[in-house]
Amino acid sequence: MSVAMHQAASVETPRRHREMTDVHFIATRIMIYLLILTAVSVIGFPLFWMLISSFKSGSELYTTPPTFLPNEWTLQNYRDLFVQTNFPIYFVNSLIVAGGATLLSLVVGGLGAYSLSRFDFFGVGSFARIALLCYMLPEVLIVLPLYVYVIKLGLADTLISLVIANTAFTLPLTLWFMRSYFNAIPLGLEESAMVDGCTRLQAMWKVTVPLAIPGIVSVGVFSFNHAWNEFLFALVFTSSEGKKVLPLGLATWIGQDNIYSWGMLLAGAVLITLPVMVFYLFVQRKLVVGLAEGGTKGE
Amino acid sequence: MAEARTVQPGDRTLAYVTLMPSAAILILLAGVPTITVFAIAMQDVGLGQTSGPFVGLENYVWALTSPDFYGALLNTFVWVFGSVTIEMCLGLGIALLLHRNFLGRGVARAILLAPYLVPTIVAVLVWRYMFHDIVGIVNYLLIELGVIAKPLLWLSTTKWAMVSVIIVGVWKFFPFVVLAILGILQSIPQEQYEAARIDGASPFQQFWRITLPYVLPVFILTALLRTIWTFHKFEIIYLLTGGGPLDATTTLPILVYFKGFVDFELGRAAAIAVLTFLILTALIAAYFLLMRRAEARQ
Repeated sequence: MSVAMHQAASVETPRRHREMTDVHFIATRIMIYLLILTAVSVIGFPLFWMLISSFKSGSELYTTPPTFLPNEWTLQNYRDLFVQTNFPIYFVNSLIVAGGATLLSLVVGGLGAYSLSRFDFFGVGSFARIALLCYMLPEVLIVLPLYVYVIKLGLADTLISLVIANTAFTLPLTLWFMRSYFNAIPLGLEESAMVDGCTRLQAMWKVTVPLAIPGIVSVGVFSFNHAWNEFLFALVFTSSEGKKVLPLGLATWIGQDNIYSWGMLLAGAVLITLPVMVFYLFVQRKLVVGLAEGGTKGE
Repeated sequence: MAEARTVQPGDRTLAYVTLMPSAAILILLAGVPTITVFAIAMQDVGLGQTSGPFVGLENYVWALTSPDFYGALLNTFVWVFGSVTIEMCLGLGIALLLHRNFLGRGVARAILLAPYLVPTIVAVLVWRYMFHDIVGIVNYLLIELGVIAKPLLWLSTTKWAMVSVIIVGVWKFFPFVVLAILGILQSIPQEQYEAARIDGASPFQQFWRITLPYVLPVFILTALLRTIWTFHKFEIIYLLTGGGPLDATTTLPILVYFKGFVDFELGRAAAIAVLTFLILTALIAAYFLLMRRAEARQ
């Protein structure tokens, strides 16, 4: 009898259990979607607002209550940006500085990272750590002595001073990330190339580098992004209109606090964000791996 | 890994030759400047000069007896503690959400991570527009929702300036935490959850016993890294409030900038920079220690 009751109970339980989990499941689903929706709308709103507002006419930007979508879509702000301001000059300067620093870091740091990954010699581990340490140095500490050197070398108000100063941060970044990318490429591939008659350099160039290209691209994006963003060095080292990079150029407009420049500022903001977002789409998947494993965990 | 490396004649030369340019640049751009800044901190550098007579520890004495320094130190702690705490909580929450399966996950992920890639100047411009006293959308929405009765002066009152700066900082940098935690969540073997479910573990127990032990080391490392980076953030505060109003958001890096490049007292600026660096060194040392331990465990 006790056995029968036991059986009845055990038939009963799973069904009730399943119904409960169904309710639970649906409730959880609804909660997840609500949370996601809230997060996406709050976090995404500023960028949406920037994009939308950049297409509003001058007067509409200052109406209260604010209009949600533009009454009239206009490209006037973008036109003004190119006609009335030095935005194109800033843009080219930023490209030169960020591109220069990235290229320098990739060539120099790529070689260095190869060495750190492939050879075992005295101090290899500590060198990688020192590189990471350099990346953590406060910009504000480095900017004082670098300013002194820039003045003494007569490099004040030049783009080259910015390329070099940015390298102080993009190079350690490249070294650290590229080393872990190279570590992930099996050494055996190079060895078999060498057995087949390649020299070490040929093996590196023809086997390892092509395999490392995804890594090189995403490290390049990070470096570029870092230099594209950089503000303090630009603020301290450069002053003339012709040498301003984007962040500094736009920052001077805020400083003037001309209430009517908001349209142009927002249009400028959209245009500065574009290249970064295009790059982002390129390396989207890599981001998780790169940051989580290269940045915080090590190798 | 070490024993897999091949060492052949000529390898040593190649190893050093390929590493040399990196080493040289790091020494010139990070090593020498760090030493130089200690040297500058012991000089009385006059207006518009780049060096001056040796004055020993005078600049440090000045800094450590100056109310400006302690004000900035306090502001730095509020800024760092406020930002990092919120970033970590928000980042963990969003990472756990994004780790689940739902419709439109790719889009949600892209939108939630976007602020991290937005250049700082852009974040500042957008938020300054949104925080605007009169035409800003933030005040408009808060009044419409009945949260506040009249517009708040977000960036121009001592009471709200720090709050505003932290809001913008969190918005810009929390995705880093999401990325770091998402990475580790994806590496947890699914079999462990299945086994736990078969054994009748509740979702809460699964989180407590499986997820948390995996996430915790990365969580701590990320928190430390965020603390280090937030500690010496300059441009986001400088561009939002310029350290004001009435020094309400003047953190140590902002103070260094003003001393060095507005008052042109490089010696005093260097002394504050060195003191900032010393505080940071403790945090960085902790980071390296924990990282080594995490690596050893793997």
